[in-house]
Amino acid sequence: MRAADPVELAPGEELDPLLSDDVVLRADHVSVVYDGDNPTRAVRDVTLELRRGEVLGIAGESGCGKSTLAYALMRMLRPPARLTGGRIIFSDHVGGTPVDVMALEAEELRHFRWRKLSMVFQSAMNALNPVTSLRKQFSDIFETHAPEMRRDDREQRSRELLEMVGIDPSRIASFPHELSGGMRQRVVIAMALALQPDVVIMDEPTTALDVVVQREILDEIERLREELGFSIVFITHDLSLLLEISDRLAVMYGGEIVEFAPSAQVARAPAHPYTLGLLESFPDMRGARRQLHGIPGSPPSLAEEVAGCAFAPRCDYAFAPCASVKPRLGERSFLAGHGAAIDVQGQRASRTWSVACHLHDPDLCPAGPPQELTGGDRAGDAETSTEEPGGVPDAICGEEE
Amino acid sequence: MRSDAALEVRHLTVDFLQRSGPKLRAVDDVSLTLRVGATLALVGESGSGKSTVVRALGRLLKPSGGEVLLGDRPSTMRRSDVREYRRHVQLVFQDPFASLNPAHTVAHHLARPLLLHQQASRRDVEGRVEALLRSVNLVPPREIARKYPHELSGGQRQRVAIARALAPSPEVLLADEPVSMLDVSIRLEILNLLDELKSERDLAMLYVTHDLATARHFSSEIMVMYRGEIVERGPSDEVILSPSHPYTQLLASAAPMPGATRAALAAARRVREGTRAAREAERREATVETGCKFRRRCPHAMPQCTSRPPEVETAPGHTTRCWLYDQSER
Repeated sequence: MRAADPVELAPGEELDPLLSDDVVLRADHVSVVYDGDNPTRAVRDVTLELRRGEVLGIAGESGCGKSTLAYALMRMLRPPARLTGGRIIFSDHVGGTPVDVMALEAEELRHFRWRKLSMVFQSAMNALNPVTSLRKQFSDIFETHAPEMRRDDREQRSRELLEMVGIDPSRIASFPHELSGGMRQRVVIAMALALQPDVVIMDEPTTALDVVVQREILDEIERLREELGFSIVFITHDLSLLLEISDRLAVMYGGEIVEFAPSAQVARAPAHPYTLGLLESFPDMRGARRQLHGIPGSPPSLAEEVAGCAFAPRCDYAFAPCASVKPRLGERSFLAGHGAAIDVQGQRASRTWSVACHLHDPDLCPAGPPQELTGGDRAGDAETSTEEPGGVPDAICGEEE
Repeated sequence: MRSDAALEVRHLTVDFLQRSGPKLRAVDDVSLTLRVGATLALVGESGSGKSTVVRALGRLLKPSGGEVLLGDRPSTMRRSDVREYRRHVQLVFQDPFASLNPAHTVAHHLARPLLLHQQASRRDVEGRVEALLRSVNLVPPREIARKYPHELSGGQRQRVAIARALAPSPEVLLADEPVSMLDVSIRLEILNLLDELKSERDLAMLYVTHDLATARHFSSEIMVMYRGEIVERGPSDEVILSPSHPYTQLLASAAPMPGATRAALAAARRVREGTRAAREAERREATVETGCKFRRRCPHAMPQCTSRPPEVETAPGHTTRCWLYDQSER
């Protein structure tokens, strides 16, 4: 059975971020290095676009550069981390003047942060100051980033924010240790939304919480987004979660984006073997019982340079060129149905699907990718999912192993 | 007692003293049986008492009531008994960064239990350490044995922790969230390893987790715990695919729905928000002492929920502690 038509996704919605060309935040060829005796290239030439009203997911294992990228977007890198290339462009509103985030001076930057772009940090448990009350911590935000606000207004707004995330406003006098984990996470989200930013970057906001609380927080985020209309960059290692909540998805590996595609279609079939591996790392709760396996091995050291594809040593589909030729993130469209990958010149960029894998390069792999990596539309979903997945094929692109 | 039972727990109760107020009952009258060559999963949210069950079964804390039978022998908390008990019952903890001693090599971690439980002599201990490492797929064993925990990845450390648990050749393995601290890509490898070891060594395994999907895939039977009580138990597929207790239904509905359409997701969210608003206010009331502990959060709460619900068999081997299924009075 096919779900909604991949192109005309959710036709009833007012705003379809997939079809919007309105970019609110753009990272242009961003690279970040951690300096040291053995410099670590944590983010390597990453280009991303966040559209207005969109949830953009960033997935990948630990140590793939996800959080470093988020810090770069917020311009929060601290030595030894250093932005070595690229630009971060923020556009306030439709047709507004783009702002080069890297060029902002002290006072401008303070004005920009939290009002335009805010962040929910990993482990909210530790993001709150244990020795001051919530009142003081909310107040700090306003004093720093909205100094024009009066004391009464600050108090008023803080209470509203708590109410908004479902916490009794009387808890404003509480200290963080008096709140449960889920409540602390809500407080951190309320703080990120304090000045109604255009973009909120969420770095693993639910990872430390259990399933029921995680679900409550996600519902809360989705409800607030509907009400307030901000855009989200949502970072997590939990790909199954991202497929559900995000509009588009960037999969990072070894500091690079290896696949960038509409989530609804990745859910049906990814195009990169790494994405497939991540997907198969999560057993389907209701699916058929079958032998499951994750991705053997571990991510590459970001301090080293790899000649070919960084994923090749762990990849079941690796063939000759993978060891020597570096795959580049190229645009493909799978919307014409599974099978041949078609270049998308002339199509709207927002419908494209980018993947960095030689299997999708017609010159290197004329036979095309195997069926489970065709991307987009996998014919007969039910049948394919019961097959033994990810088994090593006998021949890849006509080459015997 | 059935012959294939390796560990039998009857009416286990654990109370914790609190600084003020009454005792906190963390585990309330829990009975379970771990069978040879089978995995029992214990699921529930944080604070439901899952880990307390493991700690009581691992003899790391003294239960307030109930008995634990290993084979046919009841076990006590006497020092000599506990050592003998741990020869048979071993644990794998959640955090392999904390459960290994950073000052000792892998070889030391494995040699100690081997010698302590007379599984090896000084002369052949090295070979036994290497065999253990090989059994958890840590190769080359000689090289790994020389390493310190900080030189290993999270997955490798957890393998060492598993090898250490296997050192005394136990019959029972208690795994408390063994993969929740590990990276997603290696979780299944560790779970598959535990599953293989269970079959090879005829281990009786308790798999404690909050993840329903892996609970279903890696166990034959599931018990759902809520605030210290087992509210539902039965064959894995039944409990997950057709949960009967409202709490299990809540857990199942909280799991991600990666394949669903936007419209379906929004609809599911509206339903959840509706039921949540109703209970949000009630939650501020005092905690429940008697009756069904879930009733404040339960969408089906009824007057009789203020008294303790009976355990009802909804299908063969599938029981639920809930008034909804009670046939006796209605």
